Amino acid sequence: MSVEALLALVAALLQAGGMLAAAPLLRTGIKKMKARLQNRQGPPLLQGYYDLAKLLGKESVQSETASWVYAAGPRAYFATVVAATTLVPVLVAAAPLEATGGILLLVGTLALGRFALATAALDTGSPFGGMGSSRDMTIAALAEPALMLGLFASALSVGTMNLGVLVRDLVQQGPSWHPSDLLAFAGLFIIVIAETGRIPVDNPATHLELTMIHEAMALEYAGPDLALVEWASAVKELLYLTLLVNLFLPVGIATGFAPGALLVALGAWAGKVFLLAVAVTLVESTNAKLRLFRVPELVSVSLGLAFLALAIRFL
Amino acid sequence: MTANVLILCAAGMLVTAYLMVGQKALFTTIRLYGLQSFLLGLVAATIAIAESRHELFITAALTVVLKAILIPWFLMRTVDRIGIHREVEPFLNVPASLLICLGLTVVGYRVSTAFQEGARGVGHHLIGVALSLLLIGLFMMVSRKKAITQILALLTVENAVFLVAVGVTSGMPLIVELGISFDVILAVLVLGVLVQRIVGRFESMDISRLSKLKG
Repeated sequence: MSVEALLALVAALLQAGGMLAAAPLLRTGIKKMKARLQNRQGPPLLQGYYDLAKLLGKESVQSETASWVYAAGPRAYFATVVAATTLVPVLVAAAPLEATGGILLLVGTLALGRFALATAALDTGSPFGGMGSSRDMTIAALAEPALMLGLFASALSVGTMNLGVLVRDLVQQGPSWHPSDLLAFAGLFIIVIAETGRIPVDNPATHLELTMIHEAMALEYAGPDLALVEWASAVKELLYLTLLVNLFLPVGIATGFAPGALLVALGAWAGKVFLLAVAVTLVESTNAKLRLFRVPELVSVSLGLAFLALAIRFL
Repeated sequence: MTANVLILCAAGMLVTAYLMVGQKALFTTIRLYGLQSFLLGLVAATIAIAESRHELFITAALTVVLKAILIPWFLMRTVDRIGIHREVEPFLNVPASLLICLGLTVVGYRVSTAFQEGARGVGHHLIGVALSLLLIGLFMMVSRKKAITQILALLTVENAVFLVAVGVTSGMPLIVELGISFDVILAVLVLGVLVQRIVGRFESMDISRLSKLKG
């Protein structure tokens, strides 16, 4: 193995580890901010880690009717999300494994994880699991094209589908200041809310039968399996927010591996993700959950915005 | 810098127009209109600073106070009094409306290149966005049933015209702008009263019922 490949591997491990470590904090942070907006105290900032530790320490219980698909689901979901973190530039303007692929590989990897979780939820034959996966797939079928169009619109400003190269060029030439950027950002923001199960689409805080989507799929899981699903979902959320801030606000990203630049990049990244998390919290606190049949309308707005962002580049 | 802020504000106005089309809750639609007007005020203020044309500050202040605060407040009060908060069913469903608006935006942008100022640079985006807003406003007027949404559509068209007047031409004389502003607020007041009368008579804001007046 060449030195470069070895370096890329080390960087990939470090980045995936960092994202795994930071993700529970983001989840709890949003919960905490939401609680403060409602004049409640909210959980301590480390609650996400306590929950994961508690779940990982428990024994795994599974239904008698469950097959290997049930056990494979959370593991495949977790693995795909962790793999996806290595395809996105976080602190440095380069993705560790950018040589393997760009936007299409990222979207495909995430889709594979979603497929694994949805089939696993169907496996036990519980009605809630089936309901959850059918709903999740309905939303995903609409959200995925919008996600791809939005990312393509951003890719057009530089002319590459590789996220590492894309962010590198964006850092060098600065934001392109084209109306298309804002349209794509608005479209992708809606998609992030839909994909991470936030309020206008899904409510992460409830287990009400009629409304839950993501929770319904994870309902059959307990102990370490549940911990994997929850952890992977948190990482996915952090991944989407990182992607958004690095594509549309390429400020403070390090271009090399100098420790000083990396520290600045860490601060800039944390600040930008925090701002976006505040925006997510505000949306979640000021909106009511949509009826399931109204969700396609919301997602079609984002599809429209993303398509427009793409079209305006050619006009 | 100026160009960037102008393009960002214009794009923001287009985004709010799309969200208005995709929205059924009346309060949110009114708030989005307020945001759109605020961005228009920002456009005027930016041009005023960049080209040091001080009379544009008055235009900007007038836009923000009247269209971003006063008119939304009045419309929200009207909606509150009537107690009808949702567009029940537009003539077209949301995805179809959005698809049509996409087409209208493409047309607006395409047409903007025919203007001398619209061939390139900031003017291209400003004229493109303004024409798109104009078409989307007209479309909203024919595709929605609620009287309040139609007022908002009319106001969107007015915003579009204003955007071109402020952003591309050297601006209208102050007296004309004052006249237009008071015209708009008067129109909204009259329309607000009209809406209340319609609701009082038909117990609904659905203007398609107005055709039942005859006989």
